Parts: sequence; structure tokens; C-alpha cells
Amino acid sequence: MPEQYAIEMRGITKTFGSVVANNNINLNLRQGEILALLGENGSGKTTLMNMLSGIYAPDAGEIRIDGHPVTISSPEDSKRLGIGMVHQHFKLVDVFSAADNIWMGREKSGFALKSQRYSEIEEMSKKFGFDIDPRKKVRNMAVSEKQTLEIIKVLYYGAKVIILDEPTAVLTVQEIEKLFNVLRRMKEEGHSIIIITHKLNEVMEISDRVAILRKGEYITTVNTAETNEQELTEWMVGRKIDLNIDRPTVDKTRPLLEIRDLTIRNDEGAVAIDKVNFYIRGGEILGVAGIAGCGQKELCEAIAGLRPVQSGLMIHKGDNIVGLPPKAILEKGISMSFIPEDRLGMGLAPSLSITDNMILKNYADTPGPFVDRKTGRADAQRVIEELEVVTPSTETPVRRLSGGNVQKVLLGREIKAGPNVIVTAYPVRGLDINSSYAIYDILNQQKKDGVGILFVGEDLDVMLALCDKIMVLCHGKVMGVVHAHKTSKEELGLMMTGALDLTDRYEDKPAGIARDTNITEEHLNAANKEGEN
Amino acid sequence: MGFHIVKRDTCPLWKKAGFYVVAVLAALVIGGILLFAMGVDPFAYYSRMFTMGMVGNKIAYKAFENYLKVFVPLALTSVALSLAFKMRFWNIGGEGQFILGAIASATVALKLGPTLPNAITLILMCLAAMLAAGLYGVFVAALKARFGTNETLMTLMLNYVALYLLIFLGETKADWNFFLQEKSARPVFEDFSALASFPRIMLGKFGLNICVILTFVIGALVFVYLKYTKHGYEISVVGDSTGTAHYAGMKVNAIVLRTVFLSACLIGLAAAFKVGTAGVLSTAITEDVGWTGIIVAWLSQLNTAIIFVVSALISMLHYGSVAAAATFSKVDSSFANMLQGVILFLVLTADFFIRFRIVRSKKGGSK
Repeated sequence: MPEQYAIEMRGITKTFGSVVANNNINLNLRQGEILALLGENGSGKTTLMNMLSGIYAPDAGEIRIDGHPVTISSPEDSKRLGIGMVHQHFKLVDVFSAADNIWMGREKSGFALKSQRYSEIEEMSKKFGFDIDPRKKVRNMAVSEKQTLEIIKVLYYGAKVIILDEPTAVLTVQEIEKLFNVLRRMKEEGHSIIIITHKLNEVMEISDRVAILRKGEYITTVNTAETNEQELTEWMVGRKIDLNIDRPTVDKTRPLLEIRDLTIRNDEGAVAIDKVNFYIRGGEILGVAGIAGCGQKELCEAIAGLRPVQSGLMIHKGDNIVGLPPKAILEKGISMSFIPEDRLGMGLAPSLSITDNMILKNYADTPGPFVDRKTGRADAQRVIEELEVVTPSTETPVRRLSGGNVQKVLLGREIKAGPNVIVTAYPVRGLDINSSYAIYDILNQQKKDGVGILFVGEDLDVMLALCDKIMVLCHGKVMGVVHAHKTSKEELGLMMTGALDLTDRYEDKPAGIARDTNITEEHLNAANKEGEN
Repeated sequence: MGFHIVKRDTCPLWKKAGFYVVAVLAALVIGGILLFAMGVDPFAYYSRMFTMGMVGNKIAYKAFENYLKVFVPLALTSVALSLAFKMRFWNIGGEGQFILGAIASATVALKLGPTLPNAITLILMCLAAMLAAGLYGVFVAALKARFGTNETLMTLMLNYVALYLLIFLGETKADWNFFLQEKSARPVFEDFSALASFPRIMLGKFGLNICVILTFVIGALVFVYLKYTKHGYEISVVGDSTGTAHYAGMKVNAIVLRTVFLSACLIGLAAAFKVGTAGVLSTAITEDVGWTGIIVAWLSQLNTAIIFVVSALISMLHYGSVAAAATFSKVDSSFANMLQGVILFLVLTADFFIRFRIVRSKKGGSK
């Protein structure tokens, strides 16, 4: 008798227009195992899982659960069949309590909200070994709490199969460890788990087997114990690839951009960046690490002149740039590129062509009332060739391009302007290995040319390899600036959660203040005077 | 087994055009069924409507002149609205801006018309209308820029403020009210066609109103403005993403104010054209161009050239239905409004089929 699988997907095909997201995929999930689903971006992992959770219906193919063929045509079907999915972007109502978020999906929950829902959900989460306050509102929760709530939600509905879509992307090292313990415990209790990720070390640590997809095709499934990271990468990318990130050594210049006692408020008026000191020299990459929403966005926006500064100094080559309009800051050679979660929100106009996006920052520089698209088109052509952007033409709207190409266009434009300071936030967000390495190469090339780079990132492994120094932010405060080759992920993780403060590590030198600073008494006095007024 | 919707990658031009033609034909069929139900021969009605009563008419050139009087305000208003829509500023206030423009130009005609030469009066009428309408529009843009108010609601409400102001002027018999005829005991709008009227270029018997030429010139200018100038570029960036516009160092509020002012100005100009041709105010002076213009702008997907084609067709519908109503007394000229609604609805349906297609789900795959 053939082995009975928790889930069997046979010959699954799904197309969107002419794009084949999944082509004839076969995937088996054993009872009580953790299966890692590995693949680059756009390889069809999420599409495949969305067919299990009832969001999409396959064009062709068959799904079997416990050996029985089933049709999953809605999320309700999926729930009834015992499949629960924790999406990458949480599906929670911010103003509801934890218990209400779970309660609202319940069928036959009756007309009135009963107070016993709190105790019921508290008991249940205790049973699974979670510690969560059922009355706490989602908007007051940390990211890891929200994720726990999502997991409790699927367990509450009796899911036997749990799918997690990139659950570790938003967590710190310590939180990832906690999550993995939870997954191991659920496995022991007989749940079958699929975890989507593209971090190889996590795959090796948590999974029993690994299934690999590449460009919508099913490649293979292997036992984790019998493989290694190099082999997995080759399956995933389709060729041999060097996993090392270069960190060229470059002669550093005097500080290009110095930030002193900078305080910035966020949109709600709360302090987002609190008395921060740091500086960037030409020829170095300064990494900024921190849990999402720790003031990274506000810092980038302030440097670009898009957000008012509460107090403090931003000195660029000896000139204070606080209060200057964005245009003037651009002209000083400070480039800022921020890749938000939706990847298109800032820096690019998605419906406009590549050409039109190329001229975004310098369209006004030509004389006369007309836009010079000829130069823009030539620039676009050059960026397309140099950075190997895949696009039908220079006139293609940017939103039609895939993520990696969009980010190449953005960085290409920033570099074309010949900046001396590049502020870049999440430049490889959501990119596959190939594109990510292309972006690292671009940044390293800029560093060699003497540009100072502020790199706001999320992947600590990458930051440790790429950056010269790493500054850690926790709730808007600097927890210290450490040399990348002298620190470890664990140390960074502790600093990110605020458990370790290294700002006073060197007694002779206050953190974040350069010895050969360009900041003069005059600057400080001017700033103090302004503070008094 | 079932059907599901699949996104199309591309749709060739001929297919797109085909879908739209089918949509318009289907709308005519629906209208035809309605006509038939009313006991009217649809073919006879439609042929009357689409020839706008010009066939077999000795003064057909007169009909065409009147058709152009409907076409000019609609085309110009639609072009003006497309400017704001391109920036995703939902100016629903075409009606109100048009009315203010009409009142301003009538004021100039009545007050200055008797003393100034015709040409100068006309130019002043245009300028006054543009200023009045422009300020009425920019008021909303300023509120949005300063306080973040919703422009859709604001422009919509201001339409009624303007409309009731016009009705007030039209119904209040008083010494100060120079808009009304002095001699008439009932409140009637004063006729100023003798004081100010746009000249016509005579081509045989047919008189081509100068407003028609100006409308086409402005249309061409707007096309170039949107497509090739820095201002036009800024409008498309702001429309696409205000965040990106800020980031690129654009003064977004200034761009919004400027563009809305321009949009409302052109609507005011359309009003001046209308008033300077009609020679009299009326509470129905707008002929709903502020509303219809929205439909035209969207049907044309904000493309200036297509706006002219669509305005021509919609004007044909409206003017034709009035002409047909003369023969078919059973069918009111509002039949055109109904037909217009059905066309809009079906063209939107066609849009859906241009973007998606419906396919049958398959079972199977390799076992």
C-alpha cells in the first residue's frame, strides 16, 4: 500500500495571463513532518500554497487530503479540511482584541459576543503552550505576538496542516528560535507543517524534508539530513553560485555625513528617532539594523528632507542640511532610495515608463518648458544594459517589471546622478539570490568609488558580510555601532531588542562621533541657539 | 467544473476596438428593444437620430451649427476635467465652475457690453469667466492642500451652491438685479445677444463659430501640455504617487493648485463660449456638461484626442434625440440620457473583457 500523505498535490498548474506561476507541480506532505518549501522569488511558492488555502483555484491538477481527492474553492473549504495558513502579511483587525480576531471567523458563534470567549481562548492557547493576553488589542502587539496570534487562530479552527509563508522575515534571531520551538512542539503533537522561506540556514535547522521550486517548475524533494546549503542553492537557482558577499577594503575619507543629536517624530507625533549620533565616511558601508518600525523610515526620510527634524544636526561636508528642501539636498549629492513593503510606494512612479522614471529627479534641470525625454531614454537604455534589467523596452511602465528589475531601475537612477552619499533602505527586499547579489555588487562598486553608503537592512547575515560597520537601533535609540567583522548575529539580536547597550563601549570616544569631525563649535552654537528660541 | 476569470496579458488594438464597437451596438439594440416596446420603429428613430434630422432638411447647415453649439462646451469641459483627473484630483465640480463662469461672463456682457466694442467685450467675458471658475475650483484645491479635505465632496456640494445662486438671480425681481429684463413683470433673464456674440466665419451659408476653432486649438495645446511639457510630467507623477513626487523634490501643493486652477479656468472658458453664443443666461445653461464631461473623460481614458471623438458622438446622441423627438412625439429627448447610461455601462463591461477573459476550468494533469 502506498504511503498515506497528509496532502498530495498532483500535476498542479496555475497561470495568470501568459505567466505560468505553477507548471505541473507535484508536492507531498507527510503526516507529522516539517516540509520546507524553497524557491526564489517568483518561483511560485506562495501561489501554490494559496491554492491549498482556497484563495486561488488550480487551472489543472488534483489535490488529495489523507488520500481523498478534494476541491478547495474557498478559504472556508480549506478551513473545513483542516488546513490553516499564516500569511506573510498578517490578516488581523488592528482595533480588535486577540480573542475577537479569532472569534470573528467562527461559524455559529451566535449573535451576541459572550465574555466567555476570553477564557475559552486563553485556555486553548495555554493548552498549546502559548502565552497570550486574549484582551490585548492587536495594534498594541509586537510583530512576534501578532504572529503567535495568527498561529493560535489556525490551531483554534482545528488545523492539522499548518502553512507558514515566510514567517521569519519579520523576527529577530531570538524570536525565530522561539518560533522554531513552537513548530517543533506542534510537530510532536502530530501537526504537519509547510514553511515557506528562502533562508537556507533556517531550512537546514527546522525542516525534515525540502521541496524546491524554480520558475514555477517542481525540481525535487530531498531529505534535509542528506543535503547541504550549496546543493540546495544550485537546485534553487539552477546553476552554481558563489554564496560569499565581497567586502572590499577601500581607503576611507573624512566623514561625509554626520548626524548629531538627531530627534525626529513619526506621523503620530511620537519620537521615532531619539538623539541619534552617527557618521558615514566615503568608501564605507554603514549598516542599520533594527526590528521593523524602529525609526528606520523616519531617519531615511529626514536625511532626504522629506520629514521635518525636531532637533539636532545633519552636517554634510561641513554644511548643515537640516531644514533644506528635498531638491537642495538632492543637489548636494545625497541620494535616498527606500524600498517600502509594497516595493513601489516611494522613489518610483509605477504607471510611468522607465524613461519617465529616469528623469524624475532632473527633469527640471533642462531649460525651456518641455521635458527632455531623449536624454532620459538614453539613460534608461544605459541602466537597462549595465544592470541587466529585463524589460521589453524603455517605455514599459515600471509596475509591469518584476521586483528585481524595479529595484535595479531605482538604484540605477540614483547611481547615474553620481551621488556622494547613498541612503538605501531594504534594497534587496523580496529579491531572489541572483538579483540580490547584483545589487550588492552595485553597492560595492559605489563604495570603491568613494561613496558613503547607509544601508538599512533586515537580513543580519547579509549585513554582517556586506557592511563595514553596523549601527543598531532599538525604539529610535542607538544601541551601539559595531564593526561587522567583530560582532555576531546573537550580539546584534540582543542589541535590537534593547537587552544590550554598547554605546559606552569605548570610554575615550563617544559612540557615533567622529574624531576628525567636520562639525564645528559654530554649528553646535547655532543649534543650541535655535533650541533656546 | 466551472468557469473562472483569467487576466489577459495583451489585447491587440483591433480586438479592443471590436469590443467597444460591440458594446455600443449592444447598447443600441437594448435601446431599440425599448423603442419597439413603446411602439416606435427603432430603425426609423435611429436613422433620424444619427442624421440629426439633417437629411432631407433644406436648412441642414443650420442643424449642424446647432449641433456644434452642443459639442463645443462638452468637448472643452471634458478636456478641462481630464487635466484634473490625470492628477487623480476628482473634480466633480464642472457644473458649479461652469455656472460661475457663465454668471461672470454675463455680468461683463451686461455691464460693459453697451460701452465697449464687441471684440473687447468678448475677450473680457472669457477672462472673467476663467477667473471666476478658476477661483471657484482652486478654493477646493486650497482646502485640500491645507486641511486635507475631500475634493469629491467639496466640488460636488459647491455645484449646488452655484446652481442655487443662479436660480436666485433668475427668480429675484429687484432693482439691483441687472440679470433680469427690466420691462418684464415676470423674472426673465435679460438677452444680451446684441451686445456680445462670438463671430462666425461664413463658409457659404454655413457659419463656423470661432469658438469651434478655439476649442480645437485648446484641445491640441492641452494634448501637448500633458504629453511633452514639464508641467504635464509633474501632473502624471503627482497623479501616480504623491509620495514619489515629494521625494523627487516637486512642490506638490503648488502643482495641485496650478492644475486645478487651469482645469477650472478652461471650464469657465467653455461657459463663456456657451454664454457668448446663446446670448442669454438660463438655469439650464450647463446642459449637464459638468456631469457628461466626467463620463466623456473616462470613456476616452483621459486621452485628449479621443475626448474629441467621444464628445462628438455623445453630442450627436443628445442633439439627435432632440431632433428625433420632433418626429417621434412618444419618445422624449431624455431617451439620449438613458442610451448614454447604457453605453457607459456596456463600455465598462467591454473594458472588463479587454482586461480579462473567461475560461473553463480543466481537471486532470499528469497522474
